[in-house]
Amino acid sequence: MNVELYRALGSLIESPVPQHKRLATALGLPDVPVASEHVRVVRMQRHPYASAYLGAEAMLGGEVRDRIAGFRRAVGLQQDAGAEADHLASLLSLLASLESWRLEEADAARQALLAQARNTLAWEYLVSWTGPYLASFASCGVVFYAEWAALLERALHELAKAADFPDRLPEALRTAPPFPNPGEAGAKELIAALLAPLCSGTIVLRDDLRRLAVETGLAARPADRRTVVRGFLEQDAKATLEWFANHAHRCAGRTQGRRPQRIGLWWHERAVRTATVLSDAAAQIRTTQA
Amino acid sequence: MRLRRARRCLPGTAGSTCERAHSRDGGPVPFARRLEDAVRRRFGPTSADSLPMSLRDLEARVSAAKADVEARGETFYPGASRVHLAAFPPKERWSDWVELDSKAWPERKERRYVLVPTTCFNCESACGLLAYVDRDTLEVRKFEGNPEHPGSRGRNCAKGPATVTQLTDPDRILHPLKRAGPRGSGQWRQVEWDEALDDIAGRIRKAMDEDRHNQIMYHVGRPGEDGFTERMLAAWGVDGHNSHTNICSSGARAGYHFWMGMDRPSPDHKNARVILLISSHLEAGHYFNPHAQRVMEGKRRGAKLVVFDTRLSNTATHADHWLSTYPGSEAAVLLAVANHLVQTGRYNEAFVERWWNWREYLEETRPGEPVDFPTFQRALESEYAGYTFEFAAAESGVAADDVAQVAETVAQAGTRLSTHNWRSAAAGNLGGWQVARALFLLNALVGAIAVPGGTYPNAWNKYVPRPIHMPTRHPKRWNDLTWPADYPLSLMEMSFLLPHLTAERGGGLDVYFTRVYNPVWTNPDGFSWIEMLADPERIGLHVALTPTWSETALFADYVLPMGHSAERHDVASYEQYDGRWIGFRQPVLRTARERLKKGAASTRGANPGDVWEENEFWIELTWRIDPDGSKGIRGFFESRDKPGEKLTVDEYYAWMFENSVPGLPEKAAREGLAPLEYMRRYGAFEIDAGVGAVYEERVPPGELADVRVDGTGRAFSRATAPPSNNVVPMPSVDGDEDGRRRVGVEVDGVIRRGFPTPSGRLEFWSRTLVEWGWPEVAVPGYSRSHVHPQNMDRDQMCLISTFRLPVHIHTRSANAKWLNEIAHANPVWIHPRDAVDKAVRTGDLVRVETEIGHFVAKAWVTEGIHPGVVACSHHMGRWRLSDGPGRAGAVVSLRRNNGEWRMTRQEEAGAFRSADADTARIWWTESGVHQNMTFAVQPDPVSGAHCWHQAVRVGPARPGDRNGDVVVHPDKSHEVFRRWLGLARSALRHSPDGTRRPYWLLRPVRPERQAYQLSEPPGEPA
Repeated sequence: MNVELYRALGSLIESPVPQHKRLATALGLPDVPVASEHVRVVRMQRHPYASAYLGAEAMLGGEVRDRIAGFRRAVGLQQDAGAEADHLASLLSLLASLESWRLEEADAARQALLAQARNTLAWEYLVSWTGPYLASFASCGVVFYAEWAALLERALHELAKAADFPDRLPEALRTAPPFPNPGEAGAKELIAALLAPLCSGTIVLRDDLRRLAVETGLAARPADRRTVVRGFLEQDAKATLEWFANHAHRCAGRTQGRRPQRIGLWWHERAVRTATVLSDAAAQIRTTQA
Repeated sequence: MRLRRARRCLPGTAGSTCERAHSRDGGPVPFARRLEDAVRRRFGPTSADSLPMSLRDLEARVSAAKADVEARGETFYPGASRVHLAAFPPKERWSDWVELDSKAWPERKERRYVLVPTTCFNCESACGLLAYVDRDTLEVRKFEGNPEHPGSRGRNCAKGPATVTQLTDPDRILHPLKRAGPRGSGQWRQVEWDEALDDIAGRIRKAMDEDRHNQIMYHVGRPGEDGFTERMLAAWGVDGHNSHTNICSSGARAGYHFWMGMDRPSPDHKNARVILLISSHLEAGHYFNPHAQRVMEGKRRGAKLVVFDTRLSNTATHADHWLSTYPGSEAAVLLAVANHLVQTGRYNEAFVERWWNWREYLEETRPGEPVDFPTFQRALESEYAGYTFEFAAAESGVAADDVAQVAETVAQAGTRLSTHNWRSAAAGNLGGWQVARALFLLNALVGAIAVPGGTYPNAWNKYVPRPIHMPTRHPKRWNDLTWPADYPLSLMEMSFLLPHLTAERGGGLDVYFTRVYNPVWTNPDGFSWIEMLADPERIGLHVALTPTWSETALFADYVLPMGHSAERHDVASYEQYDGRWIGFRQPVLRTARERLKKGAASTRGANPGDVWEENEFWIELTWRIDPDGSKGIRGFFESRDKPGEKLTVDEYYAWMFENSVPGLPEKAAREGLAPLEYMRRYGAFEIDAGVGAVYEERVPPGELADVRVDGTGRAFSRATAPPSNNVVPMPSVDGDEDGRRRVGVEVDGVIRRGFPTPSGRLEFWSRTLVEWGWPEVAVPGYSRSHVHPQNMDRDQMCLISTFRLPVHIHTRSANAKWLNEIAHANPVWIHPRDAVDKAVRTGDLVRVETEIGHFVAKAWVTEGIHPGVVACSHHMGRWRLSDGPGRAGAVVSLRRNNGEWRMTRQEEAGAFRSADADTARIWWTESGVHQNMTFAVQPDPVSGAHCWHQAVRVGPARPGDRNGDVVVHPDKSHEVFRRWLGLARSALRHSPDGTRRPYWLLRPVRPERQAYQLSEPPGEPA
């Protein structure tokens, strides 16, 4: 396993600093982005926190972060002051540390324990969400991040091949809430589900919402995503649901065949299911209007 | 090593580091190529030459690059797992930082900033700020946290970022103003600085010439700086320092001081197992932001949080144990906890035996009994046996089981017990200083003093760098207006009695500076302050140094505009964890101009309007007081580099940082900077961390010469004290009769540093208190406060007024629009049960009658207050006399008729047009009530602290009452003053040695020793 590589890749998703240039050079990545690109691509849209993708409410922090913090404590680490346990950089750094300790460990039993801890971390808190997350960088418009994401995905694929992952799905995916029926759910619940990756199987960026506005001719409010989506639904619910159905199809396409296969399949199926539900709901609106 | 060799072998390398590597043709070798070379040397020919590389190859490249960088002592990973989305701009880019303009969204408009650190001045925590100075316009756009600051670590409360609203406040004072009508008339004319300086300096010079030094007084609110002003007053030879502290923290300080010689706690919350707060310290107080983040870190590590607070404060909501104690009963509960530790034998016997002055206690209080530790243990059990859980419950209203649970929690803390009391109960009650003393008793019992997770003395976690030209002389005269003989043990100046002392004992001030201080509004009995300030016989010339209009400035002769935190120089250091740091406040526009090579000769030149900074002002004033140096004052403010010229702030701080801050020159040099440049760049410097248990340190042999150890273990030496550049205030303990100085105390046969107390140990029993007339409080104890139910009439309730609104800070936040929008009212908290009794509902007007008057305010019915108690924050009720500047407050009229003062609201706060469009959007009209005016002065006879809690009668407003009304009867105010004065035990009757005050006690601008002598010998004790 590539200890330094994981640390380096984790570091590169943080705010750009001068040292990143050396890292990027070593990894053969293009010029590091400027701060404003980082803000636009990462800070404002692709929050690199497990809790944003594995939490039912798609909020930062909460139970997912607590569980990861608990995991860190269980392996004997105190969280650094100010650190955020579920940040991708933290997770990759921890993954690398566990592997380092395993390699340095002479005792076979402890080595096995560390390998198990490493695998658990990777399975439960990393590869469980990085597939769709990294896929979202493909069209982010900054070559550096697109290539960074591809490289990290390669590295995680290698890990997946080598690691002895559990048979069953990660806890967060097993217990994920289903996507609600738009006909039965209230607007608030539907919007929350649309924007929660764990629920919809899709990632909805601000850029996606801008595209929705352009493609449907609807007006986007300068507000948080929930308000923006509510505005779309209020203007034209049918067009909005159709667009989200298509978006779910696109997301399903991006996750198809991704590894680990069981996880890739889960995200794919969830996005397909969402697309179906939304298409049906949009059709229902058409029927009603007819 | 292989890599290091490889790097040296790079072709054309001109130096020993890669940064200086050159190619064959003499040009720099690109990093990438050097990296390739290093990888090839380390791993041989690899696929690094062709892309895409395998992950293994990439891993190798990263490892090689890491080794290459780290070999130069640099950080390779910029912070994986440490830096996150809330990250700060990396310091390497502070000179040119680019951000998108949020107001331009969705347009992607970039703004370029130079980021300049400074220190917040909106409370005393001295948190680090980063000013975002627009490189194009040279305006401060915003403030965020400074991640380089060791105390605040980049985090701020609302008051820090709100600094920008103070800078842009349309009502701020931009030019020197001189009164043009009667005091308080609101008539001013703009004057030049020279006119004001010459006038003020002339009066001071004349006072000095006529030996009236005591008629010069400097009255400070929060100092926000260490040492500059004390140095100046010492240079002037004036015992004229007056602080606000006796209406603030001096009660608690006294409790700590009598225990350990140092007067403030520095709790290590982060490493504690149990955190015990006598306050709402997570949301307000000293030093709540730096402490709060460490409290939360402690909680994350499993620490239990215990909060004593009569109110359900935000802090109480975070507690594992919230004890809503009846005001004044806190010490009773703490002593019940102590009793539990003692009776169950769960205290640190070894620590108590080694470090308490129990021998003195036994010898003086139990003559005839053996002076051994078992005897003391029995005495200790007996001393506190009466403080049962049931007793504590009866006093406090907290269930005995709850007190027992807290006692058990404390018992399980081991030495990891961090505790804190700053104001709160200690500032509220008669005898409140015993709250801090009883609290620290817990630390002293379990040995949680200056150990990880415990509470440290402040002076060991604080660093005050020695300044240039440090005066060694002391004022020759004792100032009875601030240090009256009635209160010989008062920890700080009896500042809040100034109007009463000048009125009843005669005497006055010729030149009176109020510096960022607003006693009319902040102090109790504000009408007495107005009467004094309006009386030219008592105040000859009043100079208000302030950035913002205040109720006090309205009655000044000169109002001189001083800078906010981003417009002035200061150095500050505060005890916030077990470490020592200094923070640098600087005028950010001046620094930005210098960095951008746009130049600014002085702070005044860079600040808006004629706004100045105090340091440059004092230097200039001093030169005009002593223009030819004949008074021996000017020399302290002369350049050392350029003799005969004025000392500049640059030289003042450059000298300090080069000569008095260990480690700073070296750290600066590593970055190629001078120490002053380093501080201008980063704003803070940590001198050391993990100071530890200083009292346990062995005194080094170099400090021991002709040592004598007396019968109590105190060690005296003839060796001179080693020079120290840390001039943090410390007690002055005496040496022996033969001229040796005290160096420590012998414990376990070793001479250790000990504590700066008369005994050298922790003083469970205080000889000072006994000798100066207070034998009944010689050990930590509890007495019933003036607001105890037995000391009030049946129809009275206790009013607590000592709590803050978390986003405000007395005078300084008055015109901060963001903060005012968040909080602008101070309703009277009242329990539902009491509300029913009083027929009051939320929003109703209530009249609250104090001993000297009444105020009218709105009620807030809430279960978040102890039954039988009402509460009203002191942070609101700002007012002005006309539709002039200071428009954040209400317009009122002040009338004195028929022996009563009456404040009546003429106009509520509201929207107004100004240069700031936001002022037209003010949507609130509430501005609270100025309740402090209705409080009589209530000085604690021991600590001298004002006892804020009030016995009041509360009922529905009466016909004609209006929100914000204040009525006060001055005669009653003086009666109450005299009654409380009667509780004091004057040095004139109780001094054991003919002095005014124990010499060892802390005192700002300590006069020379001769001045301590009473002019007449003390009489027999009463």
